[in-house]
Amino acid sequence: MRRLSIAIAALLVAVAALAAWGAAPSAGKVAGGATPAAKPKLPPKPKRSKLPAEVRQRGKWVVGVKCDFAPFGFIDAGGKNDGYDVEVARRFAQLAFGSKTKLELVCVTTPSRIPTLQSKRVDIIVSTLTWTKARTEVIAYSIPYYSATGRLLVPNNSSIRTVRNLGGKTIVTTRGALYAAWTRNCFKDSKLLEVDSPALAVSAVKNGTADTFMFDDAFLLGVATQDRTLKLTNDKFLAIPWGVGIRKGEGAMAAWVNGAIRYMRAHDEFAKILKGVGRRTGAPSSLINSFLGTVPRPNNRFTYPFGKDPVSDCTSR
Amino acid sequence: MSLLASIDWHFIREHLPDFWQGLKNTLKVAGIGIAGSLAIGILLGAARAHRIPVISQLAAAYVEVIRNTPILVQIFFIAYGLPELPWHPIHLTQFTQAWLSVMIWGGAFNTENFRAGFEAVPARFREAARALGFGQVATFVNVTLPIGGRIALPSSINTYISVLKNTSLLTAIGYVELTSTGYNLESETFKATEIFIVLGIAYLAVVWTLSALIRLVEARLALPERGR
Repeated sequence: MRRLSIAIAALLVAVAALAAWGAAPSAGKVAGGATPAAKPKLPPKPKRSKLPAEVRQRGKWVVGVKCDFAPFGFIDAGGKNDGYDVEVARRFAQLAFGSKTKLELVCVTTPSRIPTLQSKRVDIIVSTLTWTKARTEVIAYSIPYYSATGRLLVPNNSSIRTVRNLGGKTIVTTRGALYAAWTRNCFKDSKLLEVDSPALAVSAVKNGTADTFMFDDAFLLGVATQDRTLKLTNDKFLAIPWGVGIRKGEGAMAAWVNGAIRYMRAHDEFAKILKGVGRRTGAPSSLINSFLGTVPRPNNRFTYPFGKDPVSDCTSR
Repeated sequence: MSLLASIDWHFIREHLPDFWQGLKNTLKVAGIGIAGSLAIGILLGAARAHRIPVISQLAAAYVEVIRNTPILVQIFFIAYGLPELPWHPIHLTQFTQAWLSVMIWGGAFNTENFRAGFEAVPARFREAARALGFGQVATFVNVTLPIGGRIALPSSINTYISVLKNTSLLTAIGYVELTSTGYNLESETFKATEIFIVLGIAYLAVVWTLSALIRLVEARLALPERGR
Protein backbone atom coordinates (compact mmCIF):
# COMPACT_ATOMS: atom_id res chain seq x y z
CA MET A 1 0.00 0.00 0.00
CA ARG A 2 2.82 2.37 0.88
CA ARG A 3 4.60 1.60 -2.38
CA LEU A 4 1.37 2.23 -4.26
CA SER A 5 0.97 5.68 -2.63
CA ILE A 6 4.58 6.54 -3.49
CA ALA A 7 4.00 5.47 -7.10
CA ILE A 8 0.85 7.58 -7.38
CA ALA A 9 2.60 10.59 -5.84
CA ALA A 10 5.50 10.20 -8.29
CA LEU A 11 3.04 9.98 -11.20
CA LEU A 12 1.27 13.17 -10.09
CA VAL A 13 4.59 15.01 -9.79
CA ALA A 14 5.56 13.82 -13.29
CA VAL A 15 2.26 15.00 -14.73
CA ALA A 16 2.61 18.38 -13.01
CA ALA A 17 6.15 18.75 -14.34
CA LEU A 18 5.04 17.89 -17.88
CA ALA A 19 2.21 20.41 -17.67
CA ALA A 20 4.57 23.13 -16.46
CA TRP A 21 7.07 22.26 -19.19
CA GLY A 22 4.30 22.43 -21.81
CA ALA A 23 3.10 25.81 -20.54
CA ALA A 24 6.56 27.43 -20.27
CA PRO A 25 7.50 27.94 -23.95
CA SER A 26 4.17 29.64 -24.81
CA ALA A 27 4.59 31.99 -21.86
CA GLY A 28 8.06 32.81 -23.12
CA LYS A 29 6.73 33.34 -26.65
CA VAL A 30 4.11 35.86 -25.53
CA ALA A 31 6.77 37.87 -23.70
CA GLY A 32 9.15 37.68 -26.63
CA GLY A 33 6.53 38.51 -29.28
CA ALA A 34 5.98 42.03 -28.00
CA THR A 35 9.40 43.10 -29.20
CA PRO A 36 10.05 41.45 -32.57
CA ALA A 37 13.70 41.06 -33.38
CA ALA A 38 13.43 41.57 -37.17
CA LYS A 39 10.55 43.37 -38.90
CA PRO A 40 9.09 41.28 -41.80
CA LYS A 41 9.41 42.77 -45.26
CA LEU A 42 6.05 44.30 -46.16
CA PRO A 43 4.71 45.06 -49.65
CA PRO A 44 4.46 48.81 -50.47
CA LYS A 45 1.98 50.15 -47.96
CA PRO A 46 -0.76 52.51 -49.06
CA LYS A 47 -2.17 54.87 -46.45
CA ARG A 48 -3.97 52.36 -44.24
CA SER A 49 -5.06 52.30 -40.66
CA LYS A 50 -2.90 50.77 -37.99
CA LEU A 51 -3.25 47.10 -37.24
CA PRO A 52 -5.24 46.52 -34.02
CA ALA A 53 -2.98 46.15 -30.99
CA GLU A 54 -3.82 42.57 -30.01
CA VAL A 55 -3.26 41.29 -33.56
CA ARG A 56 0.02 43.19 -33.85
CA GLN A 57 1.26 41.79 -30.53
CA ARG A 58 0.27 38.26 -31.44
CA GLY A 59 2.07 38.51 -34.74
CA LYS A 60 -0.63 36.72 -36.68
CA TRP A 61 -4.30 36.86 -37.54
CA VAL A 62 -6.74 34.31 -36.12
CA VAL A 63 -9.59 34.06 -38.62
CA GLY A 64 -12.72 31.90 -38.61
CA VAL A 65 -13.42 30.33 -42.00
CA LYS A 66 -15.68 27.62 -43.34
CA CYS A 67 -14.16 24.21 -43.90
CA ASP A 68 -17.08 22.50 -45.60
CA PHE A 69 -18.25 25.14 -48.12
CA ALA A 70 -16.57 24.94 -51.51
CA PRO A 71 -15.37 27.11 -53.18
CA PHE A 72 -15.17 29.63 -50.33
CA GLY A 73 -13.79 27.65 -47.42
CA PHE A 74 -12.93 23.99 -47.73
CA ILE A 75 -10.13 21.50 -47.19
CA ASP A 76 -8.39 20.50 -50.40
CA ALA A 77 -7.16 17.04 -51.33
CA GLY A 78 -3.83 17.74 -49.63
CA GLY A 79 -5.52 18.57 -46.34
CA LYS A 80 -4.94 22.33 -46.54
CA ASN A 81 -7.51 25.10 -46.26
CA ASP A 82 -8.40 26.66 -49.58
CA GLY A 83 -11.12 28.83 -51.02
CA TYR A 84 -12.07 32.41 -51.78
CA ASP A 85 -12.61 33.36 -48.12
CA VAL A 86 -9.42 31.60 -47.08
CA GLU A 87 -7.41 33.42 -49.75
CA VAL A 88 -8.85 36.75 -48.60
CA ALA A 89 -7.75 35.92 -45.05
CA ARG A 90 -4.28 34.96 -46.31
CA ARG A 91 -4.03 38.27 -48.16
CA PHE A 92 -4.94 40.09 -44.94
CA ALA A 93 -2.09 38.27 -43.22
CA GLN A 94 0.26 39.24 -46.01
CA LEU A 95 -0.81 42.89 -45.92
CA ALA A 96 -0.43 42.99 -42.15
CA PHE A 97 2.75 40.99 -41.58
CA GLY A 98 4.28 40.42 -45.00
CA SER A 99 3.60 36.69 -45.08
CA LYS A 100 0.59 34.55 -45.80
CA THR A 101 1.67 32.13 -43.09
CA LYS A 102 1.10 34.61 -40.24
CA LEU A 103 -2.41 33.28 -40.02
CA GLU A 104 -4.30 30.76 -37.90
CA LEU A 105 -7.47 29.46 -39.50
CA VAL A 106 -10.28 28.20 -37.26
CA CYS A 107 -13.05 26.10 -38.80
CA VAL A 108 -16.54 27.43 -38.14
CA THR A 109 -20.01 26.44 -39.33
CA THR A 110 -23.00 28.65 -40.06
CA PRO A 111 -24.49 28.30 -36.58
CA SER A 112 -21.16 28.49 -34.76
CA ARG A 113 -19.45 31.38 -36.53
CA ILE A 114 -21.01 34.29 -34.65
CA PRO A 115 -20.68 32.71 -31.18
CA THR A 116 -17.05 31.89 -32.06
CA LEU A 117 -16.47 35.56 -32.93
CA GLN A 118 -18.25 36.86 -29.85
CA SER A 119 -16.29 34.60 -27.54
CA LYS A 120 -13.03 36.13 -28.91
CA ARG A 121 -11.82 32.76 -30.11
CA VAL A 122 -11.07 34.52 -33.44
CA ASP A 123 -10.28 38.12 -34.45
CA ILE A 124 -12.63 38.22 -37.43
CA ILE A 125 -14.74 35.79 -39.43
CA VAL A 126 -14.48 35.49 -43.20
CA SER A 127 -17.07 32.76 -43.52
CA THR A 128 -19.70 33.32 -46.20
CA LEU A 129 -21.42 35.78 -43.86
CA THR A 130 -24.36 37.40 -45.64
CA TRP A 131 -25.55 40.76 -44.38
CA THR A 132 -28.82 40.56 -42.51
CA LYS A 133 -30.46 43.13 -40.26
CA ALA A 134 -30.73 40.60 -37.43
CA ARG A 135 -27.00 39.90 -37.52
CA THR A 136 -26.11 43.61 -37.48
CA GLU A 137 -27.69 43.74 -34.05
CA VAL A 138 -25.03 41.41 -32.65
CA ILE A 139 -21.95 41.99 -34.80
CA ALA A 140 -20.46 44.62 -37.12
CA TYR A 141 -19.81 44.09 -40.84
CA SER A 142 -16.90 45.23 -42.96
CA ILE A 143 -17.61 46.63 -46.41
CA PRO A 144 -18.72 43.89 -48.85
CA TYR A 145 -16.19 41.45 -50.26
CA TYR A 146 -18.53 39.20 -52.26
CA SER A 147 -22.13 39.13 -53.41
CA ALA A 148 -24.10 35.93 -53.61
CA THR A 149 -27.57 35.10 -54.81
CA GLY A 150 -29.93 32.47 -53.53
CA ARG A 151 -30.80 29.59 -55.81
CA LEU A 152 -32.80 26.37 -55.60
CA LEU A 153 -31.19 22.96 -56.11
CA VAL A 154 -33.64 20.27 -57.22
CA PRO A 155 -33.44 16.74 -58.64
CA ASN A 156 -33.61 16.63 -62.43
CA ASN A 157 -37.17 15.29 -62.50
CA SER A 158 -38.51 17.83 -60.04
CA SER A 159 -41.76 19.71 -60.68
CA ILE A 160 -40.38 22.83 -59.00
CA ARG A 161 -39.63 25.58 -61.53
CA THR A 162 -39.45 28.74 -59.44
CA VAL A 163 -39.61 29.97 -55.90
CA ARG A 164 -43.38 30.32 -56.37
CA ASN A 165 -43.85 26.55 -56.74
CA LEU A 166 -42.80 25.80 -53.18
CA GLY A 167 -46.24 25.45 -51.61
CA GLY A 168 -46.46 22.22 -49.66
CA LYS A 169 -42.85 21.29 -50.44
CA THR A 170 -40.00 20.61 -48.04
CA ILE A 171 -37.17 23.14 -48.24
CA VAL A 172 -33.84 22.21 -46.71
CA THR A 173 -31.12 24.66 -45.75
CA THR A 174 -28.42 24.99 -43.13
CA ARG A 175 -29.26 26.05 -39.60
CA GLY A 176 -29.06 29.79 -39.06
CA ALA A 177 -28.78 30.62 -42.77
CA LEU A 178 -30.74 33.63 -43.97
CA TYR A 179 -32.75 31.28 -46.18
CA ALA A 180 -34.10 29.59 -43.05
CA ALA A 181 -35.38 32.88 -41.69
CA TRP A 182 -36.76 33.91 -45.12
CA THR A 183 -38.56 30.57 -45.50
CA ARG A 184 -40.04 30.89 -42.03
CA ASN A 185 -41.26 34.42 -42.82
CA CYS A 186 -42.40 34.07 -46.41
CA PHE A 187 -43.11 30.42 -47.10
CA LYS A 188 -45.50 29.50 -44.37
CA ASP A 189 -47.10 26.77 -46.48
CA SER A 190 -43.78 24.98 -47.00
CA LYS A 191 -42.01 22.73 -44.57
CA LEU A 192 -38.54 23.85 -43.45
CA LEU A 193 -35.82 21.34 -42.65
CA GLU A 194 -32.63 22.69 -41.08
CA VAL A 195 -29.46 20.61 -41.02
CA ASP A 196 -25.97 21.33 -39.80
CA SER A 197 -23.95 21.11 -43.00
CA PRO A 198 -24.44 21.82 -46.72
CA ALA A 199 -23.38 18.24 -47.53
CA LEU A 200 -26.21 16.80 -45.41
CA ALA A 201 -28.63 19.13 -47.15
CA VAL A 202 -27.54 17.84 -50.56
CA SER A 203 -28.01 14.26 -49.28
CA ALA A 204 -31.50 15.20 -48.13
CA VAL A 205 -32.42 16.35 -51.65
CA LYS A 206 -30.86 13.29 -53.24
CA ASN A 207 -32.65 10.79 -51.03
CA GLY A 208 -35.98 12.56 -51.24
CA THR A 209 -36.25 13.78 -47.65
CA ALA A 210 -36.40 17.33 -49.01
CA ASP A 211 -37.74 18.63 -52.31
CA THR A 212 -35.23 21.43 -52.73
CA PHE A 213 -32.08 22.91 -51.20
CA MET A 214 -32.19 26.69 -50.97
CA PHE A 215 -28.66 28.05 -50.73
CA ASP A 216 -25.95 30.29 -52.20
CA ASP A 217 -25.32 30.17 -55.93
CA ALA A 218 -21.60 29.46 -55.86
CA PHE A 219 -21.92 26.37 -53.67
CA LEU A 220 -24.95 25.02 -55.51
CA LEU A 221 -23.37 25.52 -58.92
CA GLY A 222 -20.40 23.47 -57.77
CA VAL A 223 -22.73 20.70 -56.60
CA ALA A 224 -24.80 20.70 -59.81
CA THR A 225 -21.66 20.64 -61.95
CA GLN A 226 -20.35 17.57 -60.19
CA ASP A 227 -23.64 15.70 -59.72
CA ARG A 228 -25.52 15.29 -62.95
CA THR A 229 -28.73 14.12 -61.25
CA LEU A 230 -29.27 17.56 -59.71
CA LYS A 231 -29.90 20.92 -61.32
CA LEU A 232 -30.62 24.52 -60.39
CA THR A 233 -33.86 26.30 -61.21
CA ASN A 234 -33.45 29.54 -63.12
CA ASP A 235 -34.72 32.05 -60.63
CA LYS A 236 -32.47 34.05 -58.34
CA PHE A 237 -33.44 35.76 -55.12
CA LEU A 238 -32.02 37.40 -52.01
CA ALA A 239 -28.96 38.86 -53.73
CA ILE A 240 -27.18 40.29 -50.70
CA PRO A 241 -23.47 41.00 -50.26
CA TRP A 242 -21.24 39.21 -47.78
CA GLY A 243 -19.01 40.98 -45.28
CA VAL A 244 -16.26 40.14 -42.83
CA GLY A 245 -17.70 39.69 -39.34
CA ILE A 246 -16.19 41.94 -36.67
CA ARG A 247 -17.10 42.33 -33.01
CA LYS A 248 -19.14 45.40 -32.22
CA GLY A 249 -17.17 48.30 -30.78
CA GLU A 250 -13.85 47.30 -32.37
CA GLY A 251 -13.35 50.38 -34.50
CA ALA A 252 -9.65 49.80 -35.11
CA MET A 253 -10.28 46.27 -36.40
CA ALA A 254 -13.08 47.45 -38.69
CA ALA A 255 -10.99 50.35 -40.02
CA TRP A 256 -8.07 48.07 -40.87
CA VAL A 257 -10.23 45.41 -42.54
CA ASN A 258 -12.14 48.01 -44.59
CA GLY A 259 -8.88 49.60 -45.65
CA ALA A 260 -7.52 46.23 -46.73
CA ILE A 261 -10.67 45.42 -48.71
CA ARG A 262 -10.55 48.82 -50.44
CA TYR A 263 -6.90 48.26 -51.31
CA MET A 264 -7.64 44.79 -52.72
CA ARG A 265 -10.60 46.08 -54.71
CA ALA A 266 -8.57 48.93 -56.20
CA HIS A 267 -5.91 46.45 -57.34
CA ASP A 268 -8.52 43.99 -58.71
CA GLU A 269 -7.21 41.34 -56.34
CA PHE A 270 -10.60 39.78 -55.68
CA ALA A 271 -10.96 38.79 -59.33
CA LYS A 272 -7.48 37.27 -59.21
CA ILE A 273 -8.38 35.26 -56.11
CA LEU A 274 -11.61 34.07 -57.70
CA LYS A 275 -9.83 32.93 -60.85
CA GLY A 276 -7.16 31.17 -58.81
CA VAL A 277 -9.69 29.26 -56.73
CA GLY A 278 -11.68 28.40 -59.85
CA ARG A 279 -8.59 27.04 -61.53
CA ARG A 280 -7.60 24.96 -58.50
CA THR A 281 -11.08 23.48 -58.15
CA GLY A 282 -11.19 22.55 -61.84
CA ALA A 283 -14.11 24.80 -62.75
CA PRO A 284 -14.44 25.60 -66.49
CA SER A 285 -13.30 29.14 -67.33
CA SER A 286 -16.74 30.04 -68.68
CA LEU A 287 -18.18 29.35 -65.24
CA ILE A 288 -15.46 31.37 -63.53
CA ASN A 289 -16.02 34.32 -65.87
CA SER A 290 -19.75 34.24 -65.23
CA PHE A 291 -18.98 34.84 -61.56
CA LEU A 292 -16.71 37.87 -62.07
CA GLY A 293 -19.71 40.14 -61.47
CA THR A 294 -20.02 38.85 -57.92
CA VAL A 295 -16.66 40.13 -56.64
CA PRO A 296 -15.70 43.74 -55.89
CA ARG A 297 -13.70 45.25 -58.76
CA PRO A 298 -12.40 48.74 -59.49
CA ASN A 299 -15.58 49.49 -61.42
CA ASN A 300 -17.92 47.25 -59.41
CA ARG A 301 -18.77 47.83 -55.79
CA PHE A 302 -21.59 46.53 -53.63
CA THR A 303 -23.64 48.08 -50.89
CA TYR A 304 -25.69 46.44 -48.20
CA PRO A 305 -29.48 46.93 -48.28
CA PHE A 306 -29.37 49.29 -45.29
CA GLY A 307 -32.71 50.21 -43.83
CA LYS A 308 -34.32 47.19 -45.47
CA ASP A 309 -34.71 43.69 -44.15
CA PRO A 310 -34.73 41.37 -47.17
CA VAL A 311 -35.27 38.39 -44.93
CA SER A 312 -38.75 39.61 -43.97
CA ASP A 313 -39.49 41.02 -47.41
CA CYS A 314 -41.92 38.58 -48.97
CA THR A 315 -42.57 40.56 -52.12
CA SER A 316 -39.48 39.21 -53.81
CA ARG A 317 -40.97 35.70 -53.99
CA MET B 1 -28.35 38.20 -8.98
CA SER B 2 -27.15 40.16 -11.99
CA LEU B 3 -27.38 37.00 -14.08
CA LEU B 4 -31.11 36.81 -13.35
CA ALA B 5 -31.47 40.48 -14.20
CA SER B 6 -29.65 40.13 -17.52
CA ILE B 7 -31.85 37.31 -18.79
CA ASP B 8 -34.27 38.40 -21.47
CA TRP B 9 -37.53 37.06 -20.00
CA HIS B 10 -39.57 38.72 -22.73
CA PHE B 11 -37.71 36.65 -25.31
CA ILE B 12 -38.52 33.46 -23.43
CA ARG B 13 -42.22 34.37 -23.14
CA GLU B 14 -42.35 35.30 -26.82
CA HIS B 15 -40.99 31.94 -27.94
CA LEU B 16 -42.79 29.68 -25.46
CA PRO B 17 -45.15 28.38 -28.19
CA ASP B 18 -42.13 27.23 -30.23
CA PHE B 19 -40.63 25.45 -27.23
CA TRP B 20 -43.98 23.89 -26.40
CA GLN B 21 -44.31 22.56 -29.94
CA GLY B 22 -40.79 21.15 -29.71
CA LEU B 23 -41.56 19.54 -26.36
CA LYS B 24 -44.70 17.94 -27.81
CA ASN B 25 -42.60 16.45 -30.61
CA THR B 26 -40.05 15.18 -28.09
CA LEU B 27 -42.77 13.52 -26.04
CA LYS B 28 -44.38 11.98 -29.13
CA VAL B 29 -41.13 10.38 -30.26
CA ALA B 30 -40.08 9.40 -26.75
CA GLY B 31 -43.51 7.91 -26.03
CA ILE B 32 -43.42 5.67 -29.06
CA GLY B 33 -39.78 4.86 -28.38
CA ILE B 34 -40.40 3.86 -24.76
CA ALA B 35 -43.47 1.79 -25.56
CA GLY B 36 -41.66 0.09 -28.43
CA SER B 37 -38.55 -0.64 -26.40
CA LEU B 38 -40.72 -2.12 -23.64
CA ALA B 39 -42.31 -4.49 -26.13
CA ILE B 40 -39.00 -5.39 -27.79
CA GLY B 41 -37.37 -5.84 -24.39
CA ILE B 42 -39.99 -8.28 -23.15
CA LEU B 43 -40.19 -10.31 -26.36
CA LEU B 44 -36.49 -10.57 -27.13
CA GLY B 45 -35.54 -10.79 -23.45
CA ALA B 46 -37.85 -13.78 -23.13
CA ALA B 47 -36.39 -15.36 -26.25
CA ARG B 48 -32.88 -14.92 -24.91
CA ALA B 49 -33.75 -16.14 -21.40
CA HIS B 50 -35.46 -19.25 -22.75
CA ARG B 51 -32.70 -19.84 -25.29
CA ILE B 52 -35.16 -20.15 -28.16
CA PRO B 53 -33.04 -21.20 -31.16
CA VAL B 54 -32.44 -18.77 -34.06
CA ILE B 55 -34.31 -15.88 -32.40
CA SER B 56 -31.98 -15.98 -29.44
CA GLN B 57 -28.87 -15.73 -31.62
CA LEU B 58 -30.36 -13.01 -33.82
CA ALA B 59 -31.37 -11.06 -30.74
CA ALA B 60 -27.85 -11.40 -29.34
CA ALA B 61 -26.40 -10.02 -32.57
CA TYR B 62 -28.89 -7.12 -32.54
CA VAL B 63 -28.05 -6.25 -28.94
CA GLU B 64 -24.30 -6.36 -29.56
CA VAL B 65 -24.47 -4.15 -32.66
CA ILE B 66 -26.68 -1.54 -31.04
CA ARG B 67 -24.87 -1.46 -27.71
CA ASN B 68 -21.44 -1.15 -29.28
CA THR B 69 -22.16 1.65 -31.72
CA PRO B 70 -22.91 5.30 -30.89
CA ILE B 71 -26.57 6.20 -31.17
CA LEU B 72 -25.72 9.17 -33.36
CA VAL B 73 -24.21 6.80 -35.92
CA GLN B 74 -27.37 4.69 -35.76
CA ILE B 75 -29.54 7.77 -36.33
CA PHE B 76 -27.45 8.82 -39.33
CA PHE B 77 -27.58 5.34 -40.76
CA ILE B 78 -31.37 5.17 -40.56
CA ALA B 79 -31.80 8.68 -41.96
CA TYR B 80 -29.07 8.88 -44.59
CA GLY B 81 -27.84 5.33 -45.05
CA LEU B 82 -31.09 3.46 -45.64
CA PRO B 83 -32.22 5.57 -48.62
CA GLU B 84 -28.91 4.84 -50.32
CA LEU B 85 -28.84 1.08 -49.92
CA PRO B 86 -27.86 -0.18 -53.37
CA TRP B 87 -30.27 -3.06 -53.76
CA HIS B 88 -33.32 -1.78 -51.89
CA PRO B 89 -33.33 1.87 -50.79
CA ILE B 90 -35.69 2.47 -47.88
CA HIS B 91 -37.31 5.91 -47.63
CA LEU B 92 -38.95 6.78 -44.33
CA THR B 93 -40.64 9.95 -43.21
CA GLN B 94 -38.64 12.04 -40.78
CA PHE B 95 -40.98 11.20 -37.91
CA THR B 96 -40.59 7.48 -38.60
CA GLN B 97 -36.81 7.82 -38.73
CA ALA B 98 -36.98 9.56 -35.36
CA TRP B 99 -39.03 7.07 -33.37
CA LEU B 100 -37.47 4.09 -35.11
CA SER B 101 -33.94 5.10 -34.13
CA VAL B 102 -34.72 5.63 -30.45
CA MET B 103 -36.90 2.55 -30.29
CA ILE B 104 -34.22 0.30 -31.79
CA TRP B 105 -31.65 1.74 -29.38
CA GLY B 106 -33.90 1.39 -26.32
CA GLY B 107 -35.04 -2.07 -27.35
CA ALA B 108 -31.47 -3.43 -27.35
CA PHE B 109 -30.72 -2.20 -23.85
CA ASN B 110 -34.11 -3.30 -22.58
CA THR B 111 -33.59 -6.79 -24.01
CA GLU B 112 -30.65 -7.22 -21.69
CA ASN B 113 -32.59 -5.74 -18.77
CA PHE B 114 -35.47 -8.16 -19.19
CA ARG B 115 -33.24 -11.13 -19.94
CA ALA B 116 -31.51 -10.57 -16.63
CA GLY B 117 -34.88 -10.13 -14.92
CA PHE B 118 -36.34 -13.33 -16.35
CA GLU B 119 -33.22 -15.34 -15.58
CA ALA B 120 -33.35 -14.10 -11.99
CA VAL B 121 -36.70 -15.74 -11.41
CA PRO B 122 -35.81 -18.72 -9.22
CA ALA B 123 -35.93 -21.98 -11.15
CA ARG B 124 -38.14 -23.56 -8.51
CA PHE B 125 -41.00 -21.18 -9.33
CA ARG B 126 -40.91 -22.19 -12.98
CA GLU B 127 -40.57 -25.87 -12.15
CA ALA B 128 -43.54 -25.59 -9.79
CA ALA B 129 -45.60 -24.03 -12.56
CA ARG B 130 -44.61 -26.80 -14.99
CA ALA B 131 -45.44 -29.39 -12.34
CA LEU B 132 -48.88 -27.84 -11.98
CA GLY B 133 -49.50 -28.40 -15.68
CA PHE B 134 -48.81 -24.93 -17.08
CA GLY B 135 -47.44 -24.97 -20.63
CA GLN B 136 -44.33 -23.06 -21.67
CA VAL B 137 -46.16 -19.89 -22.67
CA ALA B 138 -48.55 -20.02 -19.71
CA THR B 139 -45.59 -20.40 -17.33
CA PHE B 140 -43.98 -17.40 -18.89
CA VAL B 141 -47.06 -15.23 -18.78
CA ASN B 142 -48.22 -16.20 -15.29
CA VAL B 143 -44.93 -16.72 -13.44
CA THR B 144 -41.77 -15.51 -15.21
CA LEU B 145 -43.12 -12.27 -16.63
CA PRO B 146 -44.78 -10.88 -13.48
CA ILE B 147 -41.81 -11.68 -11.26
CA GLY B 148 -38.99 -11.14 -13.76
CA GLY B 149 -40.60 -7.95 -15.03
CA ARG B 150 -40.65 -6.48 -11.54
CA ILE B 151 -37.02 -7.44 -11.03
CA ALA B 152 -36.11 -5.76 -14.32
CA LEU B 153 -38.11 -2.59 -13.60
CA PRO B 154 -35.41 -0.47 -11.93
CA SER B 155 -32.88 -1.02 -14.72
CA SER B 156 -35.44 -0.41 -17.43
CA ILE B 157 -36.22 2.95 -15.80
CA ASN B 158 -32.66 3.95 -16.73
CA THR B 159 -33.26 2.85 -20.30
CA TYR B 160 -36.49 4.81 -20.65
CA ILE B 161 -34.90 7.96 -19.25
CA SER B 162 -32.02 7.53 -21.67
CA VAL B 163 -34.45 7.08 -24.56
CA LEU B 164 -36.07 10.37 -23.63
CA LYS B 165 -32.76 12.20 -23.39
CA ASN B 166 -31.46 10.64 -26.58
CA THR B 167 -34.29 12.25 -28.54
CA SER B 168 -32.19 15.41 -28.30
CA LEU B 169 -29.73 13.82 -30.75
CA LEU B 170 -32.42 13.89 -33.43
CA THR B 171 -31.21 17.45 -34.00
CA ALA B 172 -28.76 15.79 -36.34
CA ILE B 173 -31.47 14.89 -38.84
CA GLY B 174 -33.30 18.16 -38.38
CA TYR B 175 -36.32 16.69 -36.61
CA VAL B 176 -37.84 19.64 -34.77
CA GLU B 177 -37.94 18.36 -31.21
CA LEU B 178 -37.09 20.46 -28.17
CA THR B 179 -33.30 20.64 -28.52
CA SER B 180 -33.55 21.25 -32.26
CA THR B 181 -35.99 24.10 -31.66
CA GLY B 182 -33.59 25.64 -29.18
CA TYR B 183 -30.61 25.21 -31.46
CA ASN B 184 -32.42 26.70 -34.49
CA LEU B 185 -33.54 29.66 -32.41
CA GLU B 186 -30.03 30.18 -31.09
CA SER B 187 -28.62 30.21 -34.63
CA GLU B 188 -30.85 33.14 -35.50
CA THR B 189 -31.09 35.15 -32.31
CA PHE B 190 -27.86 34.21 -30.46
CA LYS B 191 -29.61 34.24 -27.09
CA ALA B 192 -27.90 31.09 -25.89
CA THR B 193 -28.33 31.66 -22.12
CA GLU B 194 -32.09 32.13 -22.28
CA ILE B 195 -32.61 29.23 -24.66
CA PHE B 196 -30.53 26.72 -22.76
CA ILE B 197 -32.12 27.71 -19.44
CA VAL B 198 -35.50 26.88 -20.92
CA LEU B 199 -34.22 23.60 -22.38
CA GLY B 200 -32.58 22.64 -19.10
CA ILE B 201 -35.71 23.27 -17.08
CA ALA B 202 -37.93 21.52 -19.60
CA TYR B 203 -35.83 18.36 -19.77
CA LEU B 204 -35.36 18.30 -16.00
CA ALA B 205 -39.10 18.57 -15.46
CA VAL B 206 -39.99 15.92 -18.03
CA VAL B 207 -37.35 13.38 -17.02
CA TRP B 208 -38.05 13.84 -13.31
CA THR B 209 -41.77 13.36 -13.92
CA LEU B 210 -41.13 10.24 -15.96
CA SER B 211 -38.91 8.66 -13.34
CA ALA B 212 -41.31 9.63 -10.54
CA LEU B 213 -44.15 7.96 -12.46
CA ILE B 214 -42.17 4.80 -12.99
CA ARG B 215 -41.09 4.71 -9.36
CA LEU B 216 -44.74 5.01 -8.39
CA VAL B 217 -45.53 2.01 -10.58
CA GLU B 218 -42.59 0.16 -9.10
CA ALA B 219 -43.76 0.85 -5.55
CA ARG B 220 -47.23 -0.45 -6.30
CA LEU B 221 -45.87 -3.57 -7.98
CA ALA B 222 -43.24 -4.28 -5.35
CA LEU B 223 -42.57 -7.92 -4.70
CA PRO B 224 -43.18 -9.04 -1.14
CA GLU B 225 -40.07 -9.83 0.85
CA ARG B 226 -38.57 -13.02 -0.56
CA GLY B 227 -37.44 -14.40 2.74
CA ARG B 228 -39.09 -17.77 2.34
